[in-house]
Amino acid sequence: MSHRKKVNMNTRWELVLLPSLIFVVVLIAGSQYVFLEGSFYKDLGLGRVGTDIDVSNYVRFFTDSFYLNTLWITVKTAALATFFTLILGFPVAYLIARMRSRWSMLLLAGIVVATFVTIVIKVFGLMIIFSADGLINKFLMGVGIVDTPYTIIGNQTGVVVGLMHYTLGFGVLLLYSVIQTIPRSFEEAAQIHGASRWRMHYRVLLPLSIPGITIGSLMIFNMSMGAFTSAALLGGGRVFTLPVLIQRTVMMEVKYSMAGTLSAVLLVTVLLINLLAIILIRRFRAARLVIA
Amino acid sequence: MNTTSQHNTEPQTRQSTEALIAAGRRKGPAPKLGLPWGKYFHYLYSSFSYIFLLSPMIVVIGASLHGGEYYTAIKFPPDEPSFQWYSKIPKGQIEALGLSFLLAFGTAIGACIIGIPAALGIVRGKLPGRTLISTIFRAPLQIPAIVTGIAFLQLFYLIGDATGLYIQGTFWGLYLGHVFVATPYVVGTVTAILQRFDTRLEEAAFSLGANRWSTFRRVTLPVIKPGVYAGALYAFMVSFGDVPISIFLTAPGFVTYPIELFYGLENDFDPSILASASLVIFFCLIALLAMQKIVGLDTLLRSGSR
Repeated sequence: MSHRKKVNMNTRWELVLLPSLIFVVVLIAGSQYVFLEGSFYKDLGLGRVGTDIDVSNYVRFFTDSFYLNTLWITVKTAALATFFTLILGFPVAYLIARMRSRWSMLLLAGIVVATFVTIVIKVFGLMIIFSADGLINKFLMGVGIVDTPYTIIGNQTGVVVGLMHYTLGFGVLLLYSVIQTIPRSFEEAAQIHGASRWRMHYRVLLPLSIPGITIGSLMIFNMSMGAFTSAALLGGGRVFTLPVLIQRTVMMEVKYSMAGTLSAVLLVTVLLINLLAIILIRRFRAARLVIA
Repeated sequence: MNTTSQHNTEPQTRQSTEALIAAGRRKGPAPKLGLPWGKYFHYLYSSFSYIFLLSPMIVVIGASLHGGEYYTAIKFPPDEPSFQWYSKIPKGQIEALGLSFLLAFGTAIGACIIGIPAALGIVRGKLPGRTLISTIFRAPLQIPAIVTGIAFLQLFYLIGDATGLYIQGTFWGLYLGHVFVATPYVVGTVTAILQRFDTRLEEAAFSLGANRWSTFRRVTLPVIKPGVYAGALYAFMVSFGDVPISIFLTAPGFVTYPIELFYGLENDFDPSILASASLVIFFCLIALLAMQKIVGLDTLLRSGSR
């Protein structure tokens, strides 16, 4: 009796999933197709596009040094932001993950709030801190390091700092979950065998967390590549990354096809870099397995 | 219970560990750096990260308390603390906040309606291409947000041209875009919980006479609840803070709070923005504390950050 019922319990979960899958697939396919197709037409101005397929937008992108430079700045600022996010984030994530007191919850809460508050507010705060009579400039000019106020608005440093504020909280949470998967006992074992704190970090913790860190840094890099807000506000109309340029091309120049081309280049660049990274990780892992 | 037992054993283990380390030192090579210095450096370094991360928000809250005139309003630290700007938040910002709340709340619900069945299907279904399907559900996170924004805008134009129903610049257009990017968070958090879930609980309920729906409602749902709450919170916050998608899908006079703020910062702005921004920071803090009370921060993170 009970046995027969148990057999009946086999719910067709794959059917439960179907409506959601259709929803997501239709939206992905629909939206991606529309802008990719649109990128192969000519802009006729005022938002109208031509009817003949051509690749002039792509030709223009890859022959115009302005566009190529924008691509380079996008990749560069995203890579720098990822690097500094890891540098600033890892020690914090490690600290929280290995803390045994109630303080760890408070420290975590600080990170989560910083992640949840919209980036616009954080950029606003940055603008106040770095304004001509803000805290940083008062200090720098008071000490006599600079004569004229230093600003981060309108230069690449500002864009990188803005991107870091976008990714750091998220990065710490990611690294935190990576470190939590590494048993504490491994580190204790290293210390018992006489390894110093530095050596333990360098030889035990780091190698064990490298797979997690690589995946995490890819996610952070992807976030930075698509980040619009901080780059737009801190770029101040002087530093252009692809997301900023895409928004301007649509909103100010009303060139949908060119914006589509820029989006396609951004999307393909992100995908290619991810693919490359994954291939490299696989190679690296395979090589290590052979050695082991 | 758990914590007390941990505390009881803690000093013993630590003592014996230290004794062993001391023993190891005598035999092995001497460590180059003493332990406490590394620790202090670590604390110092981490506090720098915290200052970096939190200072913009502290500065915004601080500056919102300034009591001076309009043109000197952005000042940190504030001169003569007052709440004057809080009473001067203009109607536009309040409306934008209202829209953002409504949208984020709806997005959280929509993301759950789509995300929970997806997670159930991924973990339990007999699927031929499980990896591919979970990749598809994660895809909205891999596509750069700005690309999603412009892609949806163009999709809505196309649909409008075909059917005469233009949804860009309307609530439902915006809603669709937000649900699209928020769903992966719910899928992620619920999947994480389901993978550790013992299906025998459900079988027990079912064989005791509960039907499928009440088995789901009374057994499955309570178990996945922490994941659902965590995912819903992520969805809410993603929607509540979004700029790159909303900037394309809003219209003049119909803007979310982050967009209102964005245009405010790009052009001339009213210092009352500081006040409303501070309120939003406090709201995020309260939402987080509530989540900590309901499911615990650890559940939120363990299931959510991937």
